[in-house]
Amino acid sequence: MVFGRIDRPIIFWEDGSSIIDESVTKLKRILEGKPETAFVTEQYMKNYTTIYDMCTQKPPENYSDQLYNKFRGIFEEYAKQTVLPSIMEKHDEYMLREFSQRWDINKIMVKWLSHFFFYLDRFYTARANLPNLNKAGMTCFRDHVYESIHFNAKQVIIALIHKEREDQQIDRALLKNVLDLFVQNGMESMDRYENDFEKFFLEETTSYYSRKASSWIQADTCPEYMIKAEESLKKEKERVTHYLHSDTEPKLIKGVQDVLLVSVAKDLLEMEDSGCSALLRDDKTDDLARMYRLYHAIPKGLEPVSEAFRLHVTSEGNTLIRQAEDKATNNNVVEQDVIRRIIDLHHKYMVYVTECFQNHTLFYKALKQAFEIFCNKKVAGISSAELLAMFCDNFFKKSLNDKSNDESTIESTIENVVKLLDYISDKDHFAEFYRKKLARRLLLDRNFNDEHERTILTKLKAQFGGQFTSKMEGMLTDMQLAKEHHSGFDTYIGNSGKPKGMDFTVTVLTTGFWPSYKTSDLNLPLEMVSCIESFKAYYETKTKHRKLMLIYSLGNCHLNGRFDSKPIELIVSTYQAAVLCAFNNTERLTYQELLEQLNLGHEDLARVLHSLSCSKYKILNKEPATKTISKTDSFEFNSKFTDKLRRIRVPLPPIDDRRRVVEDVDNDRRYAIDACLVRIMKSRKVFSHQQLVSECIEQLSRMFKPDIKVIKKRIEDLIGREFLERDTENPNTYKYVA
Amino acid sequence: MRETVKLISMEGFEFIIDREAAMVSQTIRSMLTSPGGFSESKDGVVTFPDISTTILEKICQYFYWSLQYSRGKETEFHIEPELTLELMMAANYLHT
Repeated sequence: MVFGRIDRPIIFWEDGSSIIDESVTKLKRILEGKPETAFVTEQYMKNYTTIYDMCTQKPPENYSDQLYNKFRGIFEEYAKQTVLPSIMEKHDEYMLREFSQRWDINKIMVKWLSHFFFYLDRFYTARANLPNLNKAGMTCFRDHVYESIHFNAKQVIIALIHKEREDQQIDRALLKNVLDLFVQNGMESMDRYENDFEKFFLEETTSYYSRKASSWIQADTCPEYMIKAEESLKKEKERVTHYLHSDTEPKLIKGVQDVLLVSVAKDLLEMEDSGCSALLRDDKTDDLARMYRLYHAIPKGLEPVSEAFRLHVTSEGNTLIRQAEDKATNNNVVEQDVIRRIIDLHHKYMVYVTECFQNHTLFYKALKQAFEIFCNKKVAGISSAELLAMFCDNFFKKSLNDKSNDESTIESTIENVVKLLDYISDKDHFAEFYRKKLARRLLLDRNFNDEHERTILTKLKAQFGGQFTSKMEGMLTDMQLAKEHHSGFDTYIGNSGKPKGMDFTVTVLTTGFWPSYKTSDLNLPLEMVSCIESFKAYYETKTKHRKLMLIYSLGNCHLNGRFDSKPIELIVSTYQAAVLCAFNNTERLTYQELLEQLNLGHEDLARVLHSLSCSKYKILNKEPATKTISKTDSFEFNSKFTDKLRRIRVPLPPIDDRRRVVEDVDNDRRYAIDACLVRIMKSRKVFSHQQLVSECIEQLSRMFKPDIKVIKKRIEDLIGREFLERDTENPNTYKYVA
Repeated sequence: MRETVKLISMEGFEFIIDREAAMVSQTIRSMLTSPGGFSESKDGVVTFPDISTTILEKICQYFYWSLQYSRGKETEFHIEPELTLELMMAANYLHT
């Protein structure tokens, strides 16, 4: 009794085998496109049943092993006898075509025969630990066909690719199929593809492009080379999408980049007349953008480019400074132009960074470094901090009169100033200069634009912290308060019924905020004294316990001068007014008399007298009529003085306090360094000299660049004042003394 | 004729069932979906000279039950004991 079909006869090997052979032949004919009728279900069932029976029969009629081997045998035989020869007899493209077709046929054949032999897969192959039918079929093809052919195939493929690189047409679909074949023959791993094809392909590619590179670099300029390089990369990427496997892309691109860009980088970028620096010089933004794109993908590729950029910007900046220096020696007006040109330069190169270089941090850094170098140079002895402050001063003064400056230009100029300030290391110098000029603007010019002033302060505060701007903000607030005081004082005078005397306003300043001004114990003319007293009384009513100190050097006075020809109104400073009023009583006074009467210092008096007698308007006659004031001079009221204007301003030349500003700031710096050192030591307790110095520099860098010698001195000083002490064992370390 | 197939038993009985039902059998399924010159000339007829009518009938019922079950209707499929052996062999053959 047979286990299986009860009434089935046993199928013996030869019979079963021949049935199968018949079907296989039929199948081959179909697949090779020869005329043949298609399979019918009956035949299918017959094959399937035959095999089924042969496998389920009891041994020794269980033919599972033989069937498996037969299956393999079918493929082997087919491969050796038919497939391989047909491929071998062709060449080049035809060979590839045949190869590809045979592969497709093989796939179908495997599928069909697997269906017939399916029963084997259900039990036999697993039990016997054999690869399943599908795999077995594929393996046969691989072993018998692929192995022999792949080398030649690869040669042909590479030759075709070479053709395409030389701009000839090739059959891309074919290449795609063949390369797919390579991949599939790897049976779930890419190593066939990689070892049998990709490796050689990449080699070919690199040698092809290195040949190209060397010929291009000889003949072309940098931009031309870059265009070609970009083209090549694009074409290779396309190649991948058309027929290469996507895994190849990164390797391919890297290979081409290495050859075209990395190995020639130095030669390319430094090319005479067309390399990086030349492009920057000639403002070739497109080419620079291309350079960025190409080198962006390469690690460290952008460094030489950013280096060139930095050098270029630095040299441009230095040229600017030099030009300004030259101009300065010719005429004295320097600052407007230079600062404006620096701002323009900055704007220009910032555009480069954002557009050509896609906001890359490397280029921001390069720009910053370049600017820091030349922004900290002096022009004609004036530091950039001071120049910037002067620029702001002039700008604000001008913007009051020049209504054509609309809000946005003012806004943008202010922003540019703040940006530029970022590059200057002595920011505290700027702060001091700006403060002094601000004071002058507020007090002397009267009509200042509060809004603009506040805008720039807000921006500075945002960038550099509240401490930077607190004093200046205080100054602005003082001016607001002063206005209130003016109206308050007027009401007070009105209410008290006392005659006011002359028209009189006082602006009260908070001492800490404003720069310190020299004052002197001037003896005022009587008329003025009573005004001062009444204001003091008024102020007492407003706030008690405050001392008012009068700064005469900043005061302004309008005097009516009754000259012979016509009365002229003179706008003078308080000192000048005091001197002139002295002549109300007498016609003539000597220097000494004036000195005693007014209680002024020599310097001040000389200055004042000079402005009244030796400059443009000779309101006083001097004897002797020399150009300088000496202690033996005597002065007389010049009744003959006249001018075509009815009202003239007699300027008092300001003292050059530039050096004083710098000195003051340097003093402040010492305190800042002290505070910083103590703060650091308090938290660290023990610290070495090197670390202390470097940390101190870092903390202070926001405001200024401290000098190392000065820091050393301050440390010594602090040791002397017993804030720090040296460690006994290690003299390089300091300890905090509580 | 794509909607139904005809299964013929050893005695010649013809069972016409839905294609979908027949596909429950892996064997029939692979036969019906083989590529290359098969589907077109196929007339949807499969002969089983080894399977008796009773068994084939039961098998067809099984196909439909299987479809129902997979759609969520979980009923029982009753098998007469005397059919079991042949039924199982047929199942093995048909890969069901």
